[in-house]
This record gives sequence, C-alpha cells and structure tokens, in this order.
Amino acid sequence: MQLFPCPFCGPRDETEFHYGGDAGNARPDGAEVPIESWTNYLYLRSNPKGTAREIWVHMSCGEFFVMERDTVTHKVLSSTALGGEHAA
Amino acid sequence: MRDLAEKWSVPPDWRNATIEVPGLKIGAVAGLHQRLVSGDLAAWAEASGFDGPAVGAFGLAEGMRYSVRLARDLLLAVSTTPFGMATGWFSEGFAVTEISAGLQVFEVEGPALDAFIARGTTLDPAGPPSASATLSFAGIGAIVYRRQRSLRIHVDRGLAAYLWTWMETVAANIATGSRN
Ligand SMILES: [Zn+2]
Repeated sequence: MQLFPCPFCGPRDETEFHYGGDAGNARPDGAEVPIESWTNYLYLRSNPKGTAREIWVHMSCGEFFVMERDTVTHKVLSSTALGGEHAA
Repeated sequence: MRDLAEKWSVPPDWRNATIEVPGLKIGAVAGLHQRLVSGDLAAWAEASGFDGPAVGAFGLAEGMRYSVRLARDLLLAVSTTPFGMATGWFSEGFAVTEISAGLQVFEVEGPALDAFIARGTTLDPAGPPSASATLSFAGIGAIVYRRQRSLRIHVDRGLAAYLWTWMETVAANIATGSRN
C-alpha cells in the first residue's frame, strides 16, 4: 500500500485518492476549435515514462491538486494545491 | 416478495452496546451535538466562540465543546450541550448544518489501542500531525481523533453496524493474539 500526500491533510492511504487525468489538459474553448484540438483533448494521453504531472483528488477532504510522480519508481516528487486555478 | 432485510444482522442497541476483551474496551457515545460548518471557518470561530484549534487525524480534542477539521473549508463542531445557535447560512460567510443524527460516534480505549489502530489504517498515529481528521478507517470514510485516553471515531450512521462487526472481529483477534 502506498501513501500519497494530500496538500492539506498530509499522507493518506492511496485508496482515498482518485485520478483526474494529465495536468494541463485544458478543455478547448471557442466556436472554431480545430478537430485536432478536440482529438488531442479527448483521446491523446502523454503516458510518460518517468516524471508525470497529474491531477488527483483526495476524496476524504475534497482537495484537488497536482501531483508529480515517477511512473517507473512510483516515487512522489511533489503535490501542489490547485486553489481554484486550472493547472498550467 | 423476498425479505432482503434478513440478510443483514440487527444493529445493536447503541445505548448499552459494548465490546470488551483484555486490553480493549469499545462503546458507543450517545447524546453528542454535532454540526457541520463550511465556508469561512475563522468567521465561524469568532461568531460561535469555538475558538480552540480544530483537531486533525489522531489529534487530541479537549473541552466540553471542540471542533474537528474535515477539509480546508469544512469542520465538525462537537458539543456535550446544545449549541444555542441557529443553523443555516450566515452573512459572515459560513453555513451551519445539523448532523447529530447522521454520524454515529464510537470510543475505543485500552492498552491494545495501537494494535486496534494498526488494523484500521496504514497511517502512523504517532506520525507528523495531520490538518484533517478524515481518513479511511476499516475501509470506510471516518473521522478519527483522540479524546482523553480514548480514540474517537465518527462514521455515517448507515455504516455504524458494519464498523461494529469489524470492531468485534478485530477485538476478538487481538484478544486471541492473532495477527489479523
Ligand atoms: Zn486531503
């Protein structure tokens, strides 16, 4: 069992967290969005080997945050509260 | 029509339900007044007089009334006496909701308390302090902190009977020296 760090609560059991997708995958906006942008937003995932930036939510307290973790070693590098802003 | 209710065990009468094994005593805490407060928690503390720090996971709650932090903008106010304050939205920037009947409270004490906690969560109760008291305990969402020498656990009332059977099993395992 792995512990993940919630920016507010601190370490918690991984089962308390829910994955929310790649960080920075912003929904396209506007009437003239090219189809490639929608395809990219909906279907293409970066799936990096190594450091990944991801959105997670701590379901126990409702905190949304960006977690940086290594997809090879599973080591967590950082967790940062979103504070209402969309992750860049 | 099939009676599905018979598949569930009858929940205990919380007024006198106890689990007692060598090293561990567990009971239900009745009569606590509980309210959820969301929004501007500093404004709430000023308006209500609940001015002590809100305890987090395994934190020590003291006094006749105290608050337990659940999230960045949410806490549970607990009191042995009625609040003497309205519920609803307050223009100072917070909302108060009555939840006394929604959360069942249990208290666990005894020298085997650490063994009990170790079966409920992978968190280290002696680790660095945590800002919120919400965590997964025995596989369900719970509010967990200390009160005097006991561990206090609040769970949704609908999950109380489950937690009780879990605690009965764990207490029996601890008493027989099982590692489970
Ligand atoms: Zn949290």
